[in-house]
Amino acid sequence: MKLDQFLAMDVGSDDDGFLDLRALEYISDYDDHLMCPICHCPFIRPVRLECDHVFCQTCLNSAIRSFATGRDGFTCPTCRTPTRDVYLNVPRLLTNMCDEIPVRCPFSNEGCKEIIPRGHIQSHADKYCGYKLMDCPSASCDQRTRKKDLSPEDKCMHELHKCLRCDEDIMEQDYEEHVQELCPSLKTTCPDCQVTVFRKALREHIEACPEAIHPCAASKYGCPIKMKRAALGTHEQSCPLITIGPYFEAQNSRLDSMELTVRHLQQRNEIFEDGLASIRSTLVESSRAFSAHHNNTATNNTNDTPDAPSASNSRSNPRSSSTTTDDSAAPLSNATTYLLSLHESLREEVAQLSHAITDLDARASMAIMNECLRLKEDMAHTNAAVNSVRMQVQWLMNPRLHQGQRAAAAGASTGGQNSGDGRAGSSAAGLLRSRRLSDTGREGTKL
Amino acid sequence: MFASKRLSKELIKMQEHLPPGISIFKAENLEEWQMDIEVLDDNPLYRGETYRLKFTFGSRYPIEPPEVQFIEVQATESAPNSKRPIPIHPHIYSNGIICLDLLGSAGWSPVQKVESICMSIQSMLTANQKNERPPGDSDFVTYNRRRPRDINFLYDDDNV
Repeated sequence: MKLDQFLAMDVGSDDDGFLDLRALEYISDYDDHLMCPICHCPFIRPVRLECDHVFCQTCLNSAIRSFATGRDGFTCPTCRTPTRDVYLNVPRLLTNMCDEIPVRCPFSNEGCKEIIPRGHIQSHADKYCGYKLMDCPSASCDQRTRKKDLSPEDKCMHELHKCLRCDEDIMEQDYEEHVQELCPSLKTTCPDCQVTVFRKALREHIEACPEAIHPCAASKYGCPIKMKRAALGTHEQSCPLITIGPYFEAQNSRLDSMELTVRHLQQRNEIFEDGLASIRSTLVESSRAFSAHHNNTATNNTNDTPDAPSASNSRSNPRSSSTTTDDSAAPLSNATTYLLSLHESLREEVAQLSHAITDLDARASMAIMNECLRLKEDMAHTNAAVNSVRMQVQWLMNPRLHQGQRAAAAGASTGGQNSGDGRAGSSAAGLLRSRRLSDTGREGTKL
Repeated sequence: MFASKRLSKELIKMQEHLPPGISIFKAENLEEWQMDIEVLDDNPLYRGETYRLKFTFGSRYPIEPPEVQFIEVQATESAPNSKRPIPIHPHIYSNGIICLDLLGSAGWSPVQKVESICMSIQSMLTANQKNERPPGDSDFVTYNRRRPRDINFLYDDDNV
C-alpha cells in the first residue's frame, strides 16, 4: 500500500466507543520487542514497512504527516531506509502477543477490579463492565452514572433526596448506600457492650470492644475458654495451652514433614513391589519350563536305575506343587534350592573329573618316560653289539686286503705280456679302490 | 496526552536502568527534564566534568523533537561538586545551544528517546579533539534571542 493510501485510511482510534488502548494501565512488564518505538506501548494495530520495522498504525501515520521533506522522501524512523510502501499484514503472532498483555479495566476509578488481556478489554468495557459510565437516561440531566446503577425504568438517578436523619442532599443512586452505611447520624448498639456507636464506626468498635467475647488465642490447640476481651488478657497469661503453643507448632511441622517422607517411602515401596512381582513371575515361568524338561529326564533315570526311584520322587513332588500354586513363595524357594543343589553337585562332579584327568595325565607321562629309558638302553646295547661286529668284520677283512695288494703288485710286474691278466688286475684295482672309498667314508662318519 | 504517556513510560524505564555516565537530575513534571552526563573515556577536554542537559518537551513529542541544550550551574558553597559548565566543542555554543542534526526536525526520528539523545551527545563529546567553540560564537551568543528549535542550523560537518 502506498503512503498516500495509508494516510487516507481511517485511523479511528479516537472515535467514541473505542477505548484508547494507549491510556490503559498495563499490569505486567512487557517485552521491549512488543513495544512500538514511537509510543512505547505494545503495538496497537501494527503495520510494517519494507525494512520489516513495525509501528502502530496511528504512530506511523503521525510520523509520516510530520515528516519534514515531504512524503516522497520518507524514511523508516528506526533505520532510515527510504520507504514508499506500508504493509498492513504483520505476523499474527505479534498481534496475539500484544493482545495477551493484561491491563486494568479503564473504569478502575469507578470501582471495577477486573484485570483482563488487552484483546478482551474492549468487549469487557462494552458489554460486561458494570462500572462503565453511561449518560443519564433523562434528557434534562447531563450527569453520568455507572451502568450497574442505571434504574430499569430509565429514570434519572441524579435527583436529590434529602436524608431524613442528617438533612444531607443525596443523589438517588447513592441513597441506599447512604441510608444503610454512610449516614453520619445512623447509630447502633454494640451487641456485646451495649454502647451506642455510629453505624459506620461499628466495625472498628467491634474490633476494639472490651466486652466482645473472643476465644482464647490457643483455641486451635483445644482451649475451650471464650471470654470478654478485657478478661482474656489475664487468661492468656496463665493459659497453659498458649505457653505450650510453640511446641505444638514445632510438632505439627515435624509431623507434616514426616508424613511427606512416609508418602515418598510408600511410593518407592510400591515401585519395588511391582518390580519384585515381575521378577517373580519370570522366575516362575522359567522354573516351570525347566521342571517340565527335568521331569522327562527323571523318568528316564528311574527306568535306567531301579534303585533310585524314591529320590527322584521326593525331588519331583515339590516341583509339581510349585506348578499348581504359582504365586506362593514356598514352592518357588523349593525350586530354587533344588536348582542350586543340582548346580552344586554338578560342580563337584566336574571337579572330580578334572582331578581324574590330571592323575591320568601324570601316570601316562611317567609310563612314557620309563618306556623311553628302556628303549634308550636297548639302543645302547645294540650300538655296542654292532660296533663289535664291525670290529670283527674289519679284522677278518684285513688279511684279504693285504693278499689283494700283493697280487696286484705281482700283476703289474708281468702285465706287459698278458693282456688278460692286465684286464683282471685293473678290475681288481677298481674293486679295491671302491672298497677303500667306502672304508674312508665309514671312518669319517665314525669320527 | 500522547507525549506525557510516552514520557512517563520512558521515565519508569530509566529509573530502572540507565547507561553508565547518564543520570536523571530532575524529572518532576513531564515538560522539562534535566539530565547529567559524563564523558567516560580519557578525553582530556572533558575529563572529570559533569554536564547538565535541559530537555523541553512539546505536546507533539516524540513526533517532534524536544529542545535540548546544555545549562550552566555554578558551584555553591554547600555543594562544591555541583558545578556544571558548558562543554567546549566546535558544535556547542557557549550559551549551551547544540548544533546537532538529530535535534532538528530534519534529523529527528520519533524512535529517539531521552536516553538515546543523551548517548548521542555523550559520543559527540567523546569523539571531539578540538578545543574550540563554533565560528562566530560570541556574535551568536550576544545577538541570538531565538529558541533553539527556531534556528536554522546548517549541518555541514559529517565527522561528528
